[in-house]
Amino acid sequence: MTAASAPAALRPAAARRGAGAAVLGSGRLLRLELRHNAMLWLLPVAFALFWYNGYREIMALPPMWNLRAMTLQNRLLLDLVIPVTGAAVWMGSREGRRSIADLVEVTARPRWSRQLATWAATTAWAEVGCLACVAVVYVVTARQASWGGPLWWPAAVSAAGVPALTAIGFAAGTWFPGRFVTPLATVVVFFGLAFGTQAASGDHSYWQISPLTAGAFDIGAAPGVASFYPYLPDLSIAQVMFTSGLTVAILGALGLRVARMRWLAALITAVGLAAAGTAVALAGTGRLDPHGMITIPALHDAASNQPVRYTPACSRTPIPVCMHPAYAGFLPAVTAAIGPELTEFAGLPGAPDRLGQIAEVYHQEPGNGIAVTAHAASASEFVLPGQLPGQPGTNSADFAANLEETLGLRLARDVILGGSGRAATPLPSQAELAVIAGSVRFPPSVEARDMAPLYGQLLPQPGSPADLAGRRFAALPPTAKHAWLAQHLATLRAGHVSLEQLP
Amino acid sequence: MINVEITDLTRRFGRNQAVAGVSLQAGPGVFGLLGPNGAGKTTLLRMMATVIPPTTGHLRLLGRDPGACGPRREVRRRLGYLPQNLGYYPGFTVAEFVEYFALLKEMPAARVPAAVATAVERVDLGGKARTKLRTLSGGMLRRVGIAQAIVNEPELLLLDEPTAGLDPEQRVHFRALLRELGQRATVVVSTHLVEDVGAACSQVALMDQGKVVFDGTPGELTARGTEHGTGDAPLERGYTAVLAAARA
Repeated sequence: MTAASAPAALRPAAARRGAGAAVLGSGRLLRLELRHNAMLWLLPVAFALFWYNGYREIMALPPMWNLRAMTLQNRLLLDLVIPVTGAAVWMGSREGRRSIADLVEVTARPRWSRQLATWAATTAWAEVGCLACVAVVYVVTARQASWGGPLWWPAAVSAAGVPALTAIGFAAGTWFPGRFVTPLATVVVFFGLAFGTQAASGDHSYWQISPLTAGAFDIGAAPGVASFYPYLPDLSIAQVMFTSGLTVAILGALGLRVARMRWLAALITAVGLAAAGTAVALAGTGRLDPHGMITIPALHDAASNQPVRYTPACSRTPIPVCMHPAYAGFLPAVTAAIGPELTEFAGLPGAPDRLGQIAEVYHQEPGNGIAVTAHAASASEFVLPGQLPGQPGTNSADFAANLEETLGLRLARDVILGGSGRAATPLPSQAELAVIAGSVRFPPSVEARDMAPLYGQLLPQPGSPADLAGRRFAALPPTAKHAWLAQHLATLRAGHVSLEQLP
Repeated sequence: MINVEITDLTRRFGRNQAVAGVSLQAGPGVFGLLGPNGAGKTTLLRMMATVIPPTTGHLRLLGRDPGACGPRREVRRRLGYLPQNLGYYPGFTVAEFVEYFALLKEMPAARVPAAVATAVERVDLGGKARTKLRTLSGGMLRRVGIAQAIVNEPELLLLDEPTAGLDPEQRVHFRALLRELGQRATVVVSTHLVEDVGAACSQVALMDQGKVVFDGTPGELTARGTEHGTGDAPLERGYTAVLAAARA
């Protein structure tokens, strides 16, 4: 060691530090903390967890902004909770674990300020991870989606949830420094977060405040939500308010031990708790709106009840099928599924000039039950099945079969029976049943009893003469069926065609 | 100028009275705090470092009462402290660790890089400035601890067993550094190595069982051992003689 001359002491200057110097000092401290933060090293783990759990599931969904953004909100925080909370606990317990508390305690910078720098660095890296995941999903979706733009509220809720996770973890590490606190606190926060989504019941549940909940619990991310009507930010606002309030309250509580700042810390804690409590109360006033989103009266903007304006995507089929442009990617699947019917029935009396997609209508039932209906005012309107290919449990074959059972059958009923009003009375003739059965291509497993509860008796009994005649009619090409129907539809409806007269 | 003014200071931990009515004064210079294990040196030093408050008694540091928040913060800006057991962050480099403490001591950010470089040089770790702390030996870590203590050019420097783990050459260098620092600041060195005191201190207090049993110069302590003391060195004989007299 040398007794080299040191820089001249600057006591008075140090005592009169300006705000600029303080900011600069805090910036340098933050830079140091950023460089030595456990979250930085856990980012690859966070990305791997998100890729394995969330990303693959999200990317398997149809490229629709509403589906992917809402699923992102469902999954992202849950995928990040372990590395983020773990890193925060580890950083919070650092001084205690490293036996450095005495040394840092006698420095001029208040403990609160020192801790906030460490927390801020942890949160900054965690936010980088969170936003990177959001960016990847949104960039890929932007390239694939046929319509619309990013939904920012689900991303904002996830981003606002990250500081809350780090604050909880950091506080746990600070208050209970020890090696076992990290796994313990991480597991507790993980299950707490996961439980929050399971506890929700109905549209007025306080548990909707969980940042993992995007929309009504029983619908979740559904294609019909936020496509015909704008995404309602009501619940998202409450969730951001909750997580931000929680963050502020916990950070305030960290300062309660600092004697000089106790009142300020108590005030900050109280403000944070008030914000979080208010948000929970607001979530409890939520109601499911007919478009499938949760509205909170105190936060609701009536202007967002207006439907979204769009130019439909239409097919070039004998009966054009026009769909919401967000669903444009499914137009080929729809026309392929009911294409023969479109050819067969085009131009016939009772057949629509075009088929236009309309929105589903959602209605809350007791508990978590939600009824999804379609208020089709005319034969030309239809809704797509609630599950699209790519969503869990649904593939293209299921989608096509579902379309046949709904749209195809309704089209056949309207044309053959002359309108929906005749579905029940008088009862359709055996020849009409045979033609309907021969026109709609049901999967072999579908039988009359499956359809009866939905449409009445529209399919003949298996093995009956009408069933056999229907099979004969089904073997004809669509153009031949069309030609026959064009000639005989009126007499068929009048009940003057026997089974033997069917081609 | 009196930088440390201690009057009838006590500190209890439950039923154990670690410091029992200590009164001391110290101005600029190197002040040695001697005593056997468990004498209360570290507890006294921790009170002087504002880590723990005294149970009773009065403490004034650098002309301020550290019991109040504002003055305590002012004192802490002018304080350097090396605890007996130095905790550290293994992932930090030497320079980063010293910089970290410079920033915590609220040094003007613009002055920090130069101050860090100087402090690291003064403990002969200039060549290791970018080395991670986890790779350093115990002696080097001790020098890092000294560097963080002196980085803010403290007016009051409190060192608890600073030479523990240093090799003889480093110890000689460190004593020179102590003398140099003592020209401008009050340096309190707690140690049980009497040769450190003899070489660097202008004033020395000897503690035993929480009390100060001797307060004077190293020369006066040496003089106490001329007749009854035991030990190899004159100062050691003074040390043992005073302790024996106190215990008698």
